[in-house]
Amino acid sequence: MDFEDKIRKDMPQPKILILDDDFSLIKRFIDGEESVFGELLKRHKDKVRNIIYITLTNSDLVDDIAQEVFITVYRNLKSFRFESQFTTWIYRITINKCKDHLRKKNIRRIFLPLNDEIEEPAFESVNENSDIKQIVRNAIAALPDKLRIPLVLKDIEGFSYQEIAESMDCEIGTVKSRIFRAREALKKLLQPLEKELME
Amino acid sequence: MKNFYNDKELLSAYLDGELSQAEKKYLEEKIKTSLELQKELADIKKLKDLTASSIEKISGSPFFDTRVLASLNQNPSSKLKLAKWIPAAALLFLTIGLMILLKFNPNFINHLIEEQKSNLAGFYKQNLQPLLYATNLTNEDIFNFAVYQQLPLDSTNQQMLKLGYDPQGAEYFEIKKIDDADKMQPVGNLRKFVTALGLGDLETRQIDSIIGSYSEQLSSLVLVSDKNAVAINPNIWNTRKAILADIISFAQKHASDNLNKIVSADVANFDVSSVAKWVSEAKNTKDDQYIFFTPDSIFKENFEFDIADFKKNMKNVDEDLRHVSEKNKNVQNFSFYMDSTFNHRKRSSSLSHQFKVFTNNNFVKVTLQNSDIPDIDIQNIELPDFDSIAIIINEATKNVTVGRPPANSVPFDNKNFKFEYKTDNPKKGKKIEFNLDSLMNLKNIDIDSLNNSINKNYVNNFLNDSLMIFQNKELKKEMDNLRKELKRFRQQMKNYENKDDENNQNNLREIKNNGAEVIQI
Repeated sequence: MDFEDKIRKDMPQPKILILDDDFSLIKRFIDGEESVFGELLKRHKDKVRNIIYITLTNSDLVDDIAQEVFITVYRNLKSFRFESQFTTWIYRITINKCKDHLRKKNIRRIFLPLNDEIEEPAFESVNENSDIKQIVRNAIAALPDKLRIPLVLKDIEGFSYQEIAESMDCEIGTVKSRIFRAREALKKLLQPLEKELME
Repeated sequence: MKNFYNDKELLSAYLDGELSQAEKKYLEEKIKTSLELQKELADIKKLKDLTASSIEKISGSPFFDTRVLASLNQNPSSKLKLAKWIPAAALLFLTIGLMILLKFNPNFINHLIEEQKSNLAGFYKQNLQPLLYATNLTNEDIFNFAVYQQLPLDSTNQQMLKLGYDPQGAEYFEIKKIDDADKMQPVGNLRKFVTALGLGDLETRQIDSIIGSYSEQLSSLVLVSDKNAVAINPNIWNTRKAILADIISFAQKHASDNLNKIVSADVANFDVSSVAKWVSEAKNTKDDQYIFFTPDSIFKENFEFDIADFKKNMKNVDEDLRHVSEKNKNVQNFSFYMDSTFNHRKRSSSLSHQFKVFTNNNFVKVTLQNSDIPDIDIQNIELPDFDSIAIIINEATKNVTVGRPPANSVPFDNKNFKFEYKTDNPKKGKKIEFNLDSLMNLKNIDIDSLNNSINKNYVNNFLNDSLMIFQNKELKKEMDNLRKELKRFRQQMKNYENKDDENNQNNLREIKNNGAEVIQI
């Protein structure tokens, strides 16, 4: 008996296989283990928050919108169909929330008296020596939403065209042309500073 | 060019690593041969790097997880869902409430509108008072009203009321600013008319009293309030006709010869007694329906204006002279504002079939669509066309010279006042041509004296110490010198002619040189 115990102790115990990929977590969530949502949240919050930040060019509302995103995810997770990546799904929700916010902001601006218009700061200045970075950030913020969003998703978040197309619910060809147009527009905006920038 | 743009788009996707093998191969071949594409590639790469490095990742939020999980535990979903429906539910209840109300009380809205209407009418009916208070209406005004159909509305004569008939025969009234064309001549039209008729002293006084008797009636026909409302009694058209008829029939009775001279005999020949009957009827016709013309609307309402009561009131206040003058001032300073509030009428005019309104910056015209003028019910009287007579009278009395009436003293308040008329007789039958001379003659301006005075002033005051005159003096001096020099030169020439040739030649050259020098100076 002692021997057996000893052997058991010394022998590496077989681990119960715990699958912790997104799909498995979601399955466990659907099966009633709602606490795994915390894990999903921890795993994706940074990316979601960052997407919101670069999409809205504003850090003030990131947490509010991110919270809305996760509440939506929580409510709809049980109907997740496993047809696409969980990330694609959550990014699509994120981008839709951002688009909603931008749309509301534009509508609100129509009803605001001209002098009351609150200029939201476009990307906060990170430090004093980042003049050129600040200029580029402002130029990006000046792009129309439908050009800016695919551009930042590609160049900052490193999304593939396919991922962008899925997140934004459009064709790959559209993404390709919008990114090209965004770059052309950005080039035009930065034209006056071409020398400094191209050094 | 289009190809190049396609290539540029491909370049963008190439840098993103999103090209198919075939596209990649095609583009790489092209880049090798095209400097432009190479530069473009470098540019896009730089731009991509700039974009990527420009935005740093947002800093982490340590309490974010806690916040989200806490909000999930609160489970506000049902609350949120309910809140979303509050406006819709409110709207629904309101609609149902209105439906029920209208089902059991279908006239609710009509009542509401009627009530508001009468409120509005009541609002504008307050404080109505005669615009043309009897004492302020001169006989001239009344005569002008009878003949020209226009009444001055305020003391400074900036606005007037004009009555008329449009081509369709519908009556209209206008409130407008008096422009030059409408201005009454300073010399009274009534006086001219009286002079043209050659009426005697007694008859003049009679016609004055006839006209004067209308002033009270007339003043009760146009009422104004301090709320920019004007109430006009449609009877004003009849009254105007009656005044005219009265004047003309008086003229026919007392000076028919002269009247026949003014207007042709067949026009002037009408049955005086029947006209008089019509006039007395017209005078007695009363109409309590006033046309209210207000900034909000135009409507017809019953309004009884008791002129006797008003007069009594005025008499009461008369005791306080200061007060009365203030009150009079208020009335006299009335001016009807034709502001933008009238503009909406243009759109809504189709709604009111009774009136057609035309507004302008300083002009309001209201045409009565239905005949609102009270009929004077007398059979078998053929009235002459007074309007055409008025036009004839107007034309005929235009050039009448008003003679100086006998300056009889008129007993008034135990003092003797004399009325004198200043007359200005234009030369009749003389064609006057206007040019500068005639104007100068007219003003007795002696051109010579004018010139003299100008010159005198000019020299004395203006040029005396100017630089110009100083320069002129210099020049004059210079010219005198030159003249003297030339004279001397001529003299010398004459002298040299007598001398021998050689000397002559030499001297001549010398002198010429001198002359040249002189001229050069």
